[in-house]
Amino acid sequence: MKLDRRFLLRGMFHGSAATMMVPFLDCFLDSKGKALAATGQKVPTRFNTFFFGCGLTKQLWVPKTAGQNYETTSQLKPLEAYKSKLNVFSGLRIPFDDNPNYQHWSGVAAAATGISPTKNGQFDSKTIDQQIADVISRGARYKSVAAAASGNPKESYSSLGGLNTLPPETTPLALYTRLFGPGFQDPSSGNWKPDPAIMVQQSVLSVVADDRKRAMMNLGASDKARMDQYFTSVREVELQMATQLQRPELTAKVAIPPAPTNDMLVNNALPNIRKVVPLMSKLGAIALATDQTRVFNLSVSEPASQIFIPGDSLGYHQSTHEEPIDPVLGYQPRVAQYNVHSMELFAMLLGELDGIQEGDGTLLDHSLVYAFTDQSFAKIHAVDGLPILVAGGASGRMKGGFHVAGDNSTVSRVGLTVQKAMGMSIDSWGINSMETKSPFTELLA
Amino acid sequence: MRAKIIILLASVVACGAVAATALEASGSQVVGLRRLTENEYRNSIADIFGKQIKVQGTFEPGIRIGGLTAASTAVLSITPGGFESYSKMADNIATQVVSEGHRKQLISCQPKSAKAPDDACATQVLSHYGFQLFRRPLTAEELRSRVALVRTMTKSSGDFYAGLRYGMATLLQSPEFLFRKEMAIPAAGGTLALDTYSRATRLSYLMWDTTPDAELLASAQSGELATPAGLEKQVDRLMASPRLEVGMRAFFTDMFMLDTFNVISKDSLFYPKWAGPMAAAAQEETLRSALDLALTKNGDMRELMVTRKTLINRSLASIYGVPFSFNGEWAPHEFSPESGRSGLLTQISMLAMFSHPGRSSPTKRGVAMNEILLCEPTPTPPNNVDFSEVNDETGPLKTVRERLMAHAADKTCSSCHNAVDPIGLSLEGFDTIGGRRERENGEMIDVSATLAGKSFHGAEGLGKFLYNSPKFPSCVARKLYSYANGLNSEEVENAAFKGGLDAFQKSGYRLRALIKGLVTDPKFFTASMEAHAKAE
Repeated sequence: MKLDRRFLLRGMFHGSAATMMVPFLDCFLDSKGKALAATGQKVPTRFNTFFFGCGLTKQLWVPKTAGQNYETTSQLKPLEAYKSKLNVFSGLRIPFDDNPNYQHWSGVAAAATGISPTKNGQFDSKTIDQQIADVISRGARYKSVAAAASGNPKESYSSLGGLNTLPPETTPLALYTRLFGPGFQDPSSGNWKPDPAIMVQQSVLSVVADDRKRAMMNLGASDKARMDQYFTSVREVELQMATQLQRPELTAKVAIPPAPTNDMLVNNALPNIRKVVPLMSKLGAIALATDQTRVFNLSVSEPASQIFIPGDSLGYHQSTHEEPIDPVLGYQPRVAQYNVHSMELFAMLLGELDGIQEGDGTLLDHSLVYAFTDQSFAKIHAVDGLPILVAGGASGRMKGGFHVAGDNSTVSRVGLTVQKAMGMSIDSWGINSMETKSPFTELLA
Repeated sequence: MRAKIIILLASVVACGAVAATALEASGSQVVGLRRLTENEYRNSIADIFGKQIKVQGTFEPGIRIGGLTAASTAVLSITPGGFESYSKMADNIATQVVSEGHRKQLISCQPKSAKAPDDACATQVLSHYGFQLFRRPLTAEELRSRVALVRTMTKSSGDFYAGLRYGMATLLQSPEFLFRKEMAIPAAGGTLALDTYSRATRLSYLMWDTTPDAELLASAQSGELATPAGLEKQVDRLMASPRLEVGMRAFFTDMFMLDTFNVISKDSLFYPKWAGPMAAAAQEETLRSALDLALTKNGDMRELMVTRKTLINRSLASIYGVPFSFNGEWAPHEFSPESGRSGLLTQISMLAMFSHPGRSSPTKRGVAMNEILLCEPTPTPPNNVDFSEVNDETGPLKTVRERLMAHAADKTCSSCHNAVDPIGLSLEGFDTIGGRRERENGEMIDVSATLAGKSFHGAEGLGKFLYNSPKFPSCVARKLYSYANGLNSEEVENAAFKGGLDAFQKSGYRLRALIKGLVTDPKFFTASMEAHAKAE
């Protein structure tokens, strides 16, 4: 007789928390004595992305020295406290081959996928965070979580490829609810038992998944892919449920904060973004520490950043195009101010990650944070010298404190380096002229 | 007892066999797979289970393609986070449906014992709701697996209704509910045409933004909907209903891009009057005035470009600078001729959505009006364009007009800007939140413009220009057709909506005539395989 899942689950609803003959679930119940103890368990390496639109100002951010003893430039000053845990990359480029340079897009897609996009607004493959999540997220509650500090549900640079981005949480309260609302299991609570309701839901999903064959009948190629994505999503939720049937593994020295108030204004006004970013960063950091997820994506703007400082009738994006280059300074002063705000927001995320103690270091030491943007010089939509910053120690696999002065090599080298540091068995990344087999080995420990 | 069940199941299976045949028939093809929008989902649940069933959850956003988010329903799928949300909602809705408070109304049979399985009753309930949720009868297998789940869950919980809840939940998170499958079967002359259930679905979501009702489903089931007379009967019924307003509200919201408000902000330092409720009020004004013209008055849609009549509430009145002494919330208002207002073009919604937080933008407004009203999207500008001379407010060029006119001098810029800026410049008499103004940086604002060789003045001039342009009615027809079919409006052939456009013109540009003309066109339900392939 075939032992299918539904047969096995049959006797369990409202019944005893009995053993289950499903391989990946051992018994974690107190009655069995040695449950999966939290201490001594190796802490997983986490991955974060931070997206900020409209780049930086070359004269003000690129250090003159390369290597580990670079001078802190004015636009990198907000990150000074994390200098030893941070690497900055200048002088990289995006070889387009036959693809156009889509304004406020090609830079994003190239940094996130290692592929210069063939269509505007679309990624030509899964983004780097998803590629990494595919490998590292097994066992965490959510495969990845995304948040948008401007409240715009379209601001997500985490994608399965094509037009489908993974929707971000758009307010601190929404993020909190997702992470610590219903369904959250506090790892430090003493009385943990697997929730039988979850097993029931698995049976429900089983029936849904069984319809797959019929659902796929007579579909054209692209509809088949979309239907396939639906069933992949079902599968992921099934895996999530399986994780929830296991005792949470990590104890973290963090207190789950109370829910944020509902009336926080979330929009493109910079003062509001400056309030929302630390809160979303804190929630994300705690989520990583408690293994709600191992991949956290935070975005502060769209690529053509709509951020504005109240009183500035142009706003960030329009300023990049319309503010004249100061003849004496040689750059756009107001744009430069906005650039610095982006770095200050990035520092807020790093601060939250570095503020959580974990074993022999901090959460930041056990993470990588991949910060990227859309343009190197937004005024003319240039991407040469696209700024990229990578923070964190990747649990000892990534060295810090470097200014890597790229020699016009492809920006995908950073993505490759990052994935190697995350422990992925990957030899090359990117396609066509962006394909690279050369990580920045000086950074890899 | 078993015999009774077998007979009952056999009759249900026979029902199910109808859809199974359609699917397995050789040559049948799924030509459309459209994810339900949030409103479509909510309305469908409300119509199937009643308004008292609460729907709480987050929905993934759509993407604007060819000016319409409806087109993205044919392209997007469901992400894991999205499915998680649907799954929770499904369980939540199912729990409410079987709860003690609702089961008398919503569950049509009673189990022999509330503590034991009753396959006959489970079958009855699941076929009934399955039919409504999937918009076609369930197949034998779809029903069997769910009845079996109900039986299992009932046994282990000792509660029939608990078991039933899980069976219902599987229907509510199935892709057959979450996506509208448009199935085409071989028709006369070697073409493919939508099967009757798909026709019912397309009509219902277009007209009422909801799932086909019992009468529409019955006309699909009997095949009546496939006949011209049967189709006309249903179309007339759907259009005569006040529910047509719900459908057209969804269409106008999409066509006029009213969801843009979700992502724009206004600078409260410059515009303290612009508060939270303003955006919702502005959207509502546009919808009410458009629906009033289109459906209540059955008027000439070109009036949208020139009318001084609208409906406003107190908050909007303060930005419009008009008195408001009405007891209800929404009052009809007619602007004076001196106000310079002209239809949709000068409504707060259009003026505010396509401007910056702190200043107006003739270019943004021009681009938006071209795309929304004339179906003329603007190509992206060249990468290395130098705006600095053009936009230095402290230089000698004081008004934005003077600064933009610099584009006209440069050939690379003028090709697009000459088609875009005049629209926005004629609207410069209104600031970024839609308030009237005469001066900019101390200079009088010049609102004259020339477009396609015609000169005009201010918003009224622009309104008359658009009123007389054949592109506007053609664009409305194109957009409605694309909306109905989930297509990229930029890739639709003129021939596809010609029937509707002709009816629109003949009727004096009445929206009702356009709707009916489109859906009764013999080509409307032929599977647009080329268009579908293009969307891939």
